[in-house]
Amino acid sequence: MKKKMTKYLFVLPGFCFFAFAMLIPFVMGINIAFTDWNGVETQFQYVGLKNFMDIFRDARIRKPFWNTLEFALIGTVVSNVVSLYLAMLINGKFSKLNHVSRTVFFIPVCFSSVLTAFLWKFLYREFISELFGVRNLLGDPKWVIPAIVVIGVWNGAGINMLIYLSGLKNIPLELYEAAKADGANVIQQFVKVTLPLLMPAFSVCVTLTLTSWLKEFATTLSATGGGPGGASKTVSIYVYENLYKYYKAGYGQAVSLLFSICLIVIGLCVSSFFRKREVEL
Amino acid sequence: MKKHRKITPGGVIEVLLTTVTVILFIFPLYLAVLTAFKSKPEMSKSVLSLPQGLYLDNFKEGMKRSDFFHSLRNSLLVTFPSVALIVLCASMSGYAIARHAHKTVALRILDKTYLASLMIPFQILMIPVYRIYKSLNLLNSLPGMTLMLTGTSIAYASFLYVGFVKSIPKEIEESAYMDGCSEMKTFWLITFPLLKPVSATVAALHVMWLWNDFNISIILLQKEAVRTITVKQFYFFGQYTAEYGLAFAAAIVSMIPVVICFAFMQKYIVNGIAAGAVKS
Repeated sequence: MKKKMTKYLFVLPGFCFFAFAMLIPFVMGINIAFTDWNGVETQFQYVGLKNFMDIFRDARIRKPFWNTLEFALIGTVVSNVVSLYLAMLINGKFSKLNHVSRTVFFIPVCFSSVLTAFLWKFLYREFISELFGVRNLLGDPKWVIPAIVVIGVWNGAGINMLIYLSGLKNIPLELYEAAKADGANVIQQFVKVTLPLLMPAFSVCVTLTLTSWLKEFATTLSATGGGPGGASKTVSIYVYENLYKYYKAGYGQAVSLLFSICLIVIGLCVSSFFRKREVEL
Repeated sequence: MKKHRKITPGGVIEVLLTTVTVILFIFPLYLAVLTAFKSKPEMSKSVLSLPQGLYLDNFKEGMKRSDFFHSLRNSLLVTFPSVALIVLCASMSGYAIARHAHKTVALRILDKTYLASLMIPFQILMIPVYRIYKSLNLLNSLPGMTLMLTGTSIAYASFLYVGFVKSIPKEIEESAYMDGCSEMKTFWLITFPLLKPVSATVAALHVMWLWNDFNISIILLQKEAVRTITVKQFYFFGQYTAEYGLAFAAAIVSMIPVVICFAFMQKYIVNGIAAGAVKS
């Protein structure tokens, strides 16, 4: 009997923390989404599905919605291309150089998004605009999203680079030799050998980057606060504003509930899309 | 052998590309360090010019005005207890799930719940957490922040432990039972020391992530007195957009703890991320 209970004793402390920080808030959040709670007072009323209907009538959410899609599209493509490029650079023939560059590419991962955003704000304002004779990209509604993507990629590419690197290291060298013997050039080797065998790494990295860009919050909030004129405001920032600026916590929660469901569905679809294309060795 | 390596065009391109990319990556940091050592008049001349001397007033002023040591204390008080709790709780959970999940339904459900929770965006917890913390009077409290940081990290950390425990042979534990050791005692005396590599990875990753946490701290730590370095910077940088030298000096000082941590734990962070990728 005592032995039977021990295994539950092992998971109990961790589960208590988990329940307090995630499980209970999650369940409570579902409840709040059906109320008109304003985030300040203790009183609130149940309003049924009104919050969810409002989402579709809300004109303010349209811009953040399209911005989020733009972030996701540009961010995912750029993040993965850059990370794979970095991984291929450090998977080269010169081990000393590879080691140094791996450290350099990974250092920005250590910095908070707040710090990174501040650093790049300075670069855009004082340096890049001077160098190319353009105005501050973060102040330009057309360019603000790509400009923030650059910041995010500099900050986060190191992690995906390591995932791609371990994928590249798992590809047997004989396959390249066989391809070379068949007369394949560098580009053909990349397309026919490297890319298909990297599918497991792709499925992890694309899912990770896509969902994290869809959730984009900290970098953008620190870099532009969603501006200029809401041109870089994302759904996550909009949820945050509903709590702290518009005092519509109930409505904000409904938005984030619907948004989370979309995120989980998209995440599952993308990872199963890549899983199906994985090649067995 | 190596000395006589042939210089091939491919090799030259590789070195060239790597060097250019390294310079591009490091350039923003170089500029930050440069700016931190410049006085205000020097700053207005040109962004790229080298500082005339080591102008240290920025560091003194920056640290004073950003109340650096106070927020450093807050960051330390929040990060390290959380990481310790995460390692203790997650190693136990990971062990129990790895050893008993195949014959215990409750543990299988727990395992799946942890996995599913990894996909939930923090935004969905933001408002309810704020509400819970408000009613429990835990807003603006460092222990409250520790609870939240630990709770949101348990799932991923346990997940990392499960894979590692499975790779340790059971026989060692079984011989300890023979000698009359309880399972709990066996875990702490025999298994936990064997988990050292994965504990190092879990600790290293979480020191980095929790130190830099913004999403949770911006919600829970609103008052000046409890702000961690990351939250402090969010407000500090907002105020000092004109005085770059000052702000960068403060920024560089705040980078030091993370960079030191990274220098010591790089191996574990790198291994951990690579291992995680293989599993998920």
